[in-house]
Amino acid sequence: MTGPLVLVADDDDDILLLVTTRLRRDGFEVLQASSGDRALELAKERRPAVAVLDIGMPGLDGLQVLEQIRADDELREMRVLLLTAKAQESDVRRGYETGADAYIKKPFSPAELSTRVRELIDGSSSD
Amino acid sequence: MYRIYLAAGLVLIGIYFALPSGGRTQTTLYDVIGGSAAIVIALSIRLHRPRLWLPWALFAAGNAFFVLGDVLYDANTSPPTVADGFYLAGYPIIAAGLLILMLAAGGRNRIAALSDAAIFTVAFALFQWIFVMGPAVRQSGSLTEHVVAGLYPAMDVVLLGGFVGFFVSPAWRTPAFRILLAAVLALLIGDEIYGVNTDAYANGSWVDAAWLSSYVLWATAALHPSMRALSEPRRKPSLRIGLARVAVLAAALLTVPIVLLVQTLRDKPLHPYVVAGLGSAVGLLVVARLTGILRALERIRLREQAARSVAEESESRLALHNEELVEADRLKDEFVALISHDLRTPLTSIIGYVELALDEDVEPPLDEERQSYLEVVSRSSERLLRLVDDLLFVARLQSGRLALATAEIDLCSVVGQAVEEARPRAEAKALVLSFLGSSPVMIEADKGRIFQLLDNLISNAVKFTPDGGRVDVRVVPARDGAVIEVSDTGIGLAPGEAELVFDRFFRSSQVSAQQVPGTGLGLFIARAIAEAHGGTLTAFSREEGGTTFRIELPVREAPQPENAEEELVA
Repeated sequence: MTGPLVLVADDDDDILLLVTTRLRRDGFEVLQASSGDRALELAKERRPAVAVLDIGMPGLDGLQVLEQIRADDELREMRVLLLTAKAQESDVRRGYETGADAYIKKPFSPAELSTRVRELIDGSSSD
Repeated sequence: MYRIYLAAGLVLIGIYFALPSGGRTQTTLYDVIGGSAAIVIALSIRLHRPRLWLPWALFAAGNAFFVLGDVLYDANTSPPTVADGFYLAGYPIIAAGLLILMLAAGGRNRIAALSDAAIFTVAFALFQWIFVMGPAVRQSGSLTEHVVAGLYPAMDVVLLGGFVGFFVSPAWRTPAFRILLAAVLALLIGDEIYGVNTDAYANGSWVDAAWLSSYVLWATAALHPSMRALSEPRRKPSLRIGLARVAVLAAALLTVPIVLLVQTLRDKPLHPYVVAGLGSAVGLLVVARLTGILRALERIRLREQAARSVAEESESRLALHNEELVEADRLKDEFVALISHDLRTPLTSIIGYVELALDEDVEPPLDEERQSYLEVVSRSSERLLRLVDDLLFVARLQSGRLALATAEIDLCSVVGQAVEEARPRAEAKALVLSFLGSSPVMIEADKGRIFQLLDNLISNAVKFTPDGGRVDVRVVPARDGAVIEVSDTGIGLAPGEAELVFDRFFRSSQVSAQQVPGTGLGLFIARAIAEAHGGTLTAFSREEGGTTFRIELPVREAPQPENAEEELVA
């Protein structure tokens, strides 16, 4: 039996692999995207339960992808967790205003990120 | 003293004219007045002790010669007499004295003073020649008589010449100088009246009044206290083109037309050669003088221009320097922001992958040696992350970008969380970590920042307390806020360090000696957070050893003055 489907988008391959490895070890099925555009494509095709989006990406950035997800009737209910290296409070606020469900600052503990993803899935299923 | 002498002199002159004309008593009184003047001038040198005494000695000598001339004068003897010799010797001596005094008073403008004197002298000479000397020389008589008769007006020229440069110098303001001027004028007036109609002169005539006044005034000038100041060499350059100076130059230039006009009106010979020669000399001298003034002005202008360009240059250099400083400050901010961002990205990989590597669920398990290596990497990267966070925080603080997200919070629960966070570290050192406080203590504050503040203080206390010690944390509600105390039984504060510990990058002497790791930013940040909330953070040594940090926080931060933000923008 495959676990819940999680989309991970980061332009940094190392971070992408790090998040993917942790989530797979914890039993999630992971979709990888190295750009915002690819992430939006995969989100539409595969309808993951959770999207982990890096904010700072070339092309469509994490916030823009989030905006498009929230604007799409079919994707609207998707849980979104934002990742950023910027520690500014204003960024956190913007993230939540755009409609993020959770927010994690880099650097982060992969285990903690996995826990947050699990919480998002559990929270949405109990709605 | 000079007043007494002046009064006595005037009285004696009065008596002189009351006595029968041409009598022996009258002649003697004349000699007495003159003699007293010469003696008084000599004595006043001893009285006032002027720095420049030579001119006054020359005045005394010159007047003494005049007196000798007076004594030997006999109206019935035709010139040249011995009296003429003494008279004529007196003029150059007095003129020399005036010249010396003028050069001293003229200070740095000696050349200007001399040329003014020369201009006026030549102009006056033209006057003298046409109106006084010419007629005297053309009178009938022997050659010697002509020479002697012509010499008197010539001597007056010398005398006046010595005086004019002086006239345009700042010495004009001293009373002694004015009296001296009066003395010379009296002498000249006497000489001129005498020179124009020599034959009419007899003892006791009104011309004597001028000469006698000259004696008395001369001695009065010498007695006046300001004669000392007059004899002081002056260093102050006076390049101002004074009214007196312009008047002298104008008068000199007007001499030629006036002489021509007067001679024409009187229907007397015009003396074209003399007038043309001396007139040209005056003209050339005036031109030279004006050229000198223009050159001096040009020099001043150039000097001013140079000074201004130097000032402008340094001003623009200062502006440039200022710009560079602003740019450097901006680069510093940018640098810190960049570092904190770019250091975070690789740190994410380091911290994350070390955590993956240390994952105990993964097969095959790590051997103990490699696990201990990776644990060092893990600890070091956590420390590096804290340092980056601290630097970023301080950079934001410095640029005034620290914004608080305040809300109503229970202080006790936040402090309790911070205590629990530190508990594993305290237990590792066998420390007793106690927390005293009863919820709720509600204040308005930024929860994250208050946690950071407490975490800083408690971590510090745990770090600096030796194994087996205590760390006590208390929250006490106060009248309009709350007090939090973090006490330890650690190394304490060295005398005088209670305030210094809050300085940026400060490391206490004990800390350095014991090589405890740290950046010296923790307490700086802690105090900044307390102050951002309108509170205070202080440290003091405990009597029983160790340190207490006390935070006082108000219920809510006092409202900022409305224009505070505008001021920052400005």
